[in-house]
Amino acid sequence: MFLNMKLLAQHTLNGFGGMGEGMSMQLARDGRRVLWLAHESAPKNFTAVDVTDPRKPKVIVQTDLPHASMRSNSLEVAGDLMAVAYQVTKFGLKPAGFELFDISNPEKPRSISTFDASGPHSRGCHQLWFVDGKTVHMACADPEQKPRNPKDDQVYRIVDVANPSKPVAVGRWHLPGTMDGDDAPPPKRLPAKFDAGFRAHNTNVYPERPDRCYLAYIDGGVMVLDISDRARPKMLSHWTNSPPYNGFNHTVLPLFGRGLLVVSDECVQDNGADWPKLVWMLDARDETNLVSVSTLPAPPVDAFKTKGGRFGAHNLHENPPVPGAWRSENVVLGTFFNAGVRAYDVTDPYSPREIAYFVPPAPEKSKTGQIQLNDVFVDDRGIVFTVDRGGGGLYALEMNV
Amino acid sequence: MIPDGRTPVVVVTGFLGSGKTTLVNQLVRKESDSLVIVNEFGEVPVDHALIESSVEKAIALPNGCLCCHLRGDLEETLIGAAMRRRRGEIAGFDRVIVETSGLADPGPVAQTLYADQALARDFKLGPIVTVVDASDAGSRKVSGEIARAQIAAADVVVLSKVDRGDAARAEAEVRDLNTGVHCISASFGDVDPAVLLEVKPGNHSFSHTATHDSAIRSFALRFDQPVRRELLQQFISTLVDLRGPDLLRVKGFVPLESGMVAVQGVRHVFDRMRPAEGGEPALVFITNGVEKSEVEALWQAMRRLGS
Repeated sequence: MFLNMKLLAQHTLNGFGGMGEGMSMQLARDGRRVLWLAHESAPKNFTAVDVTDPRKPKVIVQTDLPHASMRSNSLEVAGDLMAVAYQVTKFGLKPAGFELFDISNPEKPRSISTFDASGPHSRGCHQLWFVDGKTVHMACADPEQKPRNPKDDQVYRIVDVANPSKPVAVGRWHLPGTMDGDDAPPPKRLPAKFDAGFRAHNTNVYPERPDRCYLAYIDGGVMVLDISDRARPKMLSHWTNSPPYNGFNHTVLPLFGRGLLVVSDECVQDNGADWPKLVWMLDARDETNLVSVSTLPAPPVDAFKTKGGRFGAHNLHENPPVPGAWRSENVVLGTFFNAGVRAYDVTDPYSPREIAYFVPPAPEKSKTGQIQLNDVFVDDRGIVFTVDRGGGGLYALEMNV
Repeated sequence: MIPDGRTPVVVVTGFLGSGKTTLVNQLVRKESDSLVIVNEFGEVPVDHALIESSVEKAIALPNGCLCCHLRGDLEETLIGAAMRRRRGEIAGFDRVIVETSGLADPGPVAQTLYADQALARDFKLGPIVTVVDASDAGSRKVSGEIARAQIAAADVVVLSKVDRGDAARAEAEVRDLNTGVHCISASFGDVDPAVLLEVKPGNHSFSHTATHDSAIRSFALRFDQPVRRELLQQFISTLVDLRGPDLLRVKGFVPLESGMVAVQGVRHVFDRMRPAEGGEPALVFITNGVEKSEVEALWQAMRRLGS
């Protein structure tokens, strides 16, 4: 199923094609383009794919996790450094935090250091942002804090890795009321069937505004933080859609030249049980007063909602400010699980238009019987890379709009 | 970048027996991601799994000109195809090829795409391709007005059966009506789809005024400096009010103060002006009896009065 997107290649990654939400491109010193991918769950940690020729992707390295009660899920590349998030399935397990690798020789990633965030109330790091080679911004538990509700363990943390062998935590922020000792009362939780926690998810910081973090906080909405003092981030604005919506705000993508924020929810339940999960356009010309102006038009709900697996928004191509990445202020791409990868023209933010999509057939042995596209990265050649959360692995697409 | 994800609708027209179906069959064989719509059950079946059929209906309305009545099923078929594509009920398609009946004026198809907002969300007019039988000038003379309208509206003319006919004579006949049109020769529909399908409507080079004997006129109105959008809109509106039915095709690029826009119209229906990149700053007119001097005089007068 397609519109203005053509499949160039699919690679099931040696039979380990269940992928997470870490996709980052390295322009290697020898001229190759290497796409680094985080796996959704054990046993694999990360896989590097040579996509210099997107029609012939080649796996060049694939690594294992130390045990099965953890996952990497997220990674980012800055130059020859790669940060990989480690999240554990039970509180107190290790390794929980992140690991830094030297990938100057992509075939042989070399561990430089680990940042330990393990503790009795910690599940470690779910997601990280690392684009300048000096700072990791992440959604990660802080062992010095005890959440009032165990689901709220992962906060926004800033770690200085200017010396990659000695990461140093330099700042943190959490939604007031969620930690023991807070003056603020605990926030009102969503109904139990939707309660995914008041915790950080994507933590994006761009060179256009190095003093701002665009933070999505799962059931807590989204925030613009002032991080000019990294030790003491301050909330400048807060926008939430839940209730009445069903929580899980995932990504905040700023379109700086347009005064817009693009906010994605994440669908986390099968067969439309948590529908609607949408992508929201916010007017952010006044960053202290975020105003919702539209949502990206959803695929036909009745055709997808109950056909199996998850259906709804998830990751966006985040315009990462790194060499090799495509950046656009007019076209937004996102993954929608069983509704595939989709591109939207947001030239008119009040009336976004769908301009391209690709929905691959379900991969073999798919548990849900459907494709479950999980993440998307577009390179500066315009090649769209997307990954399946089930077993489909990596898809390379050509977009023609 | 100006993103435009709409699917182009290629209109293939030409006289009965000119070789339209052969051409369409060749195109879909080489470009498989095409949805084909035929508006009559033709002499030769189109062998493609995605074939749709559409019989245009002439619906008598109390007012308006005939070209507005020839819509109906085409509109419904296109909207239905877009809905089925979005729902995953059909695999997908990157272009639509509409094969019109031999006696049809292609204008109404273009008008349908300009005038219907629901349709214009998913589709845009691609090149109008007119197939001209190089071996059979006689049948065109029998129904001359329709044949001339088909040639006048074309972005691309495919000269078919060149192995049996006088291609040079047929091309001269075509250029007499539509000077700047792309002309491609073909035997048994064998053309390079890229050459044919990638021609952008309105992207004409235009060198001189045609000198044929019929009432068809083709000429270019050039713009040597940016113009005000409102003035251009008033100019087109005035032309349409005065001679809309005789504007067989208007297409081209006009420099506005805010940047270049593409202008496209068929008779009294014009597409929304869309930002465009490049292109010669000129509007090409193909008219039925509307002279270049009249259009130029109107424009110059409006420009002077409106500045």
